[in-house]
Amino acid sequence: MRARLTVAVAVASFAGLLVGAVPVMAHHSFAAEYDASKLLKLTGTVTKIEWTNPHCFFYVDVKDQDSGKIDNWAFELGNPNALLRNGWTPKSVKIGDEVTVEGTRAKDGTLLGNARSMVLTSTGQRLFAGSSQTTNP
Amino acid sequence: MRMLERLRLMTNGLERLRGGAWARSAVVCSAFVLTSSAVVFGQWVTYPTPNVPRLANGQPDLGAPAPRQPDGRPDFVGFWQPDRQRECTPDLASKVRLAQPCKPGEKVTVQNGPASVPGGLPLQPWAAELTKKRTADLSKDDPHPRCQPDNYPRVYWLPHFSKMFFVPGELLMLNEWNAQFRQIYTDGRPLPEDPHPIYSGYSIGKWEGDTFVITTKGIRDDQWLDTAGNPITDAATMTERITRPNFGTLNLAITIDDPKAYTKPFTIDMNMKIMIDTQMIEEFCLENERDSARLFAPGAGKP
Repeated sequence: MRARLTVAVAVASFAGLLVGAVPVMAHHSFAAEYDASKLLKLTGTVTKIEWTNPHCFFYVDVKDQDSGKIDNWAFELGNPNALLRNGWTPKSVKIGDEVTVEGTRAKDGTLLGNARSMVLTSTGQRLFAGSSQTTNP
Repeated sequence: MRMLERLRLMTNGLERLRGGAWARSAVVCSAFVLTSSAVVFGQWVTYPTPNVPRLANGQPDLGAPAPRQPDGRPDFVGFWQPDRQRECTPDLASKVRLAQPCKPGEKVTVQNGPASVPGGLPLQPWAAELTKKRTADLSKDDPHPRCQPDNYPRVYWLPHFSKMFFVPGELLMLNEWNAQFRQIYTDGRPLPEDPHPIYSGYSIGKWEGDTFVITTKGIRDDQWLDTAGNPITDAATMTERITRPNFGTLNLAITIDDPKAYTKPFTIDMNMKIMIDTQMIEEFCLENERDSARLFAPGAGKP
């Protein structure tokens, strides 16, 4: 498995574009937990799925291609109802599937991201992530 | 046809985006998701809604007349979500804060809730200070992400869906979030005197023509009116004037008279849009709540 880890600090305008382009399914103040300027794009293997309220979590083993070290990242998505209404089912992604996740990293520096999109490597299918990045519908 | 309806459902969710360009890009993006993702036909969450007026092409006729109850009053029956898209009318700027003047007939995006009040909220000095601090703390103390019950009127501008229907003697509002309910009595009872404050407060309703007027007292003290942290207190009287101008829209004019937190009453004017071909599904926040730990952690709420 070839995995990549890219933690990019985006210029403000680019971050603004991304903030504006995500669907809204807010549960909390995004800014208190995530840093919109710390963008993540990670590819790895799904190890666990929590299809739960208030938000779904997907756990992904990501291998650093230089050091070979494997980190298990957690990605927070929207709530199950939002994902279902946007075409997901709990079976859309299975444990062992390779996915590429784009999102933003937690401010506390842990291996946690808020997912904006998830692409299934085997089919190229892009799945709605129901990001909680914005508030006040 | 069902695919078109699904697209409408999704674009409804996307209409809440800030700004037209972002909304357009997101709709294109969602159309891609629509065509590329597994479709959950057969699930109740996407089951067709009965008794929806349709256009010749099969799409829902959202501009059709509002349904009526047997006694001739408008019926609010439906599944509703806050809607930031407003049609520009000559008096819109007197109801909501607009980024710039609009032309009659065009669609404009407005904030829902207190952020749309023209001229801002008339906060008492202590309340202004409190809101300022809460906002500066990035709303880390917001009760909503802690899975606390949501309070009215904030329910109307959180992104969770509400179901409404009249039954004899009551208007009922159900909310997916934590399976909340609200009862608005129409059986002629008076408001309670000196009530024990609760999250939804105590509500009675009556008709004034085709407008349903709800009066509420007994709201819990120190609730958050919005994510910014504007307060609402147990001194508040809330008056909601609700109309259904067409099948697809509810209009709410929500007046908050809370002399403890505000120097004068103010009115929040907003629309809700009907959600077609989806059902109410439970959404219990405490199932797997992971945000509190980070929101309470040392350093939380700092930029």
